[in-house]
Amino acid sequence: MYNTRKMKFWKSFNLILLIIGSIFMIAPLFWMVSISLKSLEEIYRGGFNFIPEDIQFSNYAAVFEIVPFFTYFVNTSMITIFVVLGNVFVNAFIAYGFAKIQFKGREVLFIVVLSTMMLPGFITLIPQYVIFANLGLVNTYYPLVLPAFLGSAFNIFLLRQFFKGVPNSMIEAAKMEGANHFYIFFKIALPMVKPALFTVAIFSFNGVWNDFLGPLLYLNDESLYTLQLGLQVFKEQSSTQWHYLMAGSLMVLFPVIVLFFLFQKYFISGSNILGQTEEK
Amino acid sequence: MRKVFFLIFLSTIILGACGGFSLGDGDTSSGGTGDPEDGTAQEETIVLDFWTFWGSEQRRPVIDQIIEDFNTSQDEIEVRHTYTPWGDIWTKNLAAIAAGDPPDVIINDIMTVKLRAEEGQIEPITEFVQDEVSGRFYDQMMDAAIHEDEIYALPFNTDTQILFYNKDLFEEVGLDPEQPPETWEELDEYAAQLDIEEEGTYERIGFYPLIGAGTDIWVLNALGENYLQDDGEVLIDTEPVHETFNWILDSQDKYGQNRITSVNSQFENAQQDPFMSGDVPMMVQNANYYVQLRDFAEDLNFGVAPLPERVPGNGNTSWGGGFVAEVPMGASNPEASYQFIEYLTSHEAQLYWAEQNFDLVAHEEAGVSAAGSGEFDDSGQEVYTQMIENMDETLLTPQPVIAPDYAGTVNPIFESIVSGNTDVESGLEQAQSELEQLVEDNR
Repeated sequence: MYNTRKMKFWKSFNLILLIIGSIFMIAPLFWMVSISLKSLEEIYRGGFNFIPEDIQFSNYAAVFEIVPFFTYFVNTSMITIFVVLGNVFVNAFIAYGFAKIQFKGREVLFIVVLSTMMLPGFITLIPQYVIFANLGLVNTYYPLVLPAFLGSAFNIFLLRQFFKGVPNSMIEAAKMEGANHFYIFFKIALPMVKPALFTVAIFSFNGVWNDFLGPLLYLNDESLYTLQLGLQVFKEQSSTQWHYLMAGSLMVLFPVIVLFFLFQKYFISGSNILGQTEEK
Repeated sequence: MRKVFFLIFLSTIILGACGGFSLGDGDTSSGGTGDPEDGTAQEETIVLDFWTFWGSEQRRPVIDQIIEDFNTSQDEIEVRHTYTPWGDIWTKNLAAIAAGDPPDVIINDIMTVKLRAEEGQIEPITEFVQDEVSGRFYDQMMDAAIHEDEIYALPFNTDTQILFYNKDLFEEVGLDPEQPPETWEELDEYAAQLDIEEEGTYERIGFYPLIGAGTDIWVLNALGENYLQDDGEVLIDTEPVHETFNWILDSQDKYGQNRITSVNSQFENAQQDPFMSGDVPMMVQNANYYVQLRDFAEDLNFGVAPLPERVPGNGNTSWGGGFVAEVPMGASNPEASYQFIEYLTSHEAQLYWAEQNFDLVAHEEAGVSAAGSGEFDDSGQEVYTQMIENMDETLLTPQPVIAPDYAGTVNPIFESIVSGNTDVESGLEQAQSELEQLVEDNR
């Protein structure tokens, strides 16, 4: 009896704590929605009213009039599709090699790959830009997409740990049946590391969808701009059109939220995945 | 596996239709020759890529109209406008210069022209600039565009800090709405009359120097000159600066740090404008603030005045910034770029910019024309006239080569004094010696 009561108390306590925490977490989002539906006049007048005096749904339509939002949405989606595909399959392929194929210098090469993680992105920014400029690729999507097809140390490391979990006995058995590494990779290993692939896909989606610096540097033609660049139109040196900025930001955020609800179990497991390094 | 390849194939098709993956039209910049319509080579037209951060629904149509006017005024040069986000435009410019692929003309910060010139990031344009052109601008703006006797840019627009005050509230407490305060002492007296104190909390803050303005503006106002001189002399540990901080701290003691922090944080986060709401009836602001009052506070009866002086006769020194048009290093046709810059800073273009944006332009005469423009109502004309008059006492503080980030050294100490972590005496002594050291290290 006592135990049940105690459990009930702690359950309610946890629930209340979680509700309070959630309110704190979600309040900025509600504030965004609220501002996106206010007139700029009401925003400047101030006050802490969550419900706008005069709801302005027209702010959302205005965003489409001021910036070519649909074009930017298509552009961002294009880049995202390619980057996610590249990140998932190329990194998986490289990681499989590091995990399951024996070759001379493998460990040294792996350390070299890992060491690239130590280089902050800002250091390689200008040299990378100069390389792409010399290749004549500035003002195209190639500088944004190609790196995803050349491997990323973090993703390789993550996927390698998972491929190590694929039993060697299965690979040996497949080899005995005459399967080559391509067949083993696609038919046996890849399906077994699905959760890790989802993790890589979700994180790279998040990264590329919200990327600002890459498109800023490499794209000059406004018809190629992405959503993150488009949103900046509402910010100028002395004033910000908060209502449009919030309406635009919410629309940019929408696919990320949808993605979260569709794949939330992978999102959550993704943060635990790095701990799972057991070898079989 | 077939599904995967199909997906990749499908994406390739979609992307093929998407301009971002076609190679030929990658570089639209570099002042090359070509036909503006179809991109084919045509000797007589020079295509210039012009980068600005003016993308809003208010500014973009104005700059696009100026570009169109230039393009139709002659047939040798075709200017193409590229909007690039505010602030980040200069990061992008640096990368493009490093790669030898810069735009042909860019709008850049006037405060850092000398630094970019020193670093070899801008093409000098001295050989193209006639005396008639360099004489168009406010002297302090033109000076900021010159480094070691070479002209590196032409000024485009500027701003200045002025005092906004609420005439209705002046009248309500018995002050003459046509007599704004002229000295710091008067500011304090007026503020005391405008204050509303209830149970130890100030519901209305008559005036606090750091709502709307920063400590550096008041230091300039007190000194009448920059605290870092061109020759490297530092004027921080001086009597006027001591007086400035003591004045700010007295005011802070009166209103309470919490109340001020609350007003300022709401203001900074665009939750509430204390001047519009009447919570702060006197506030120093960039004069462009008028546009917000015009658009979002129609019923507010306000006046403008120069920054009050520390003591009578000290001067109403204010502070300003601004932007220039310049040719990034490596641009392939600086002469053509300059022709466009000259048009951008002409009377015609500057007047149009001033009238449409209510922005203080660098061209002195165009500014005077704008002040009397029929595009502005009486209140607009009054504020614009005040802006022009203010330029006589507006200092620009270009970052000097001897101490590029001097504000980064001094401002944290100023903040520490204001927040009460350091006392005025030792804080200013420390700021003085650290800045002197910085200058010494860079010599």
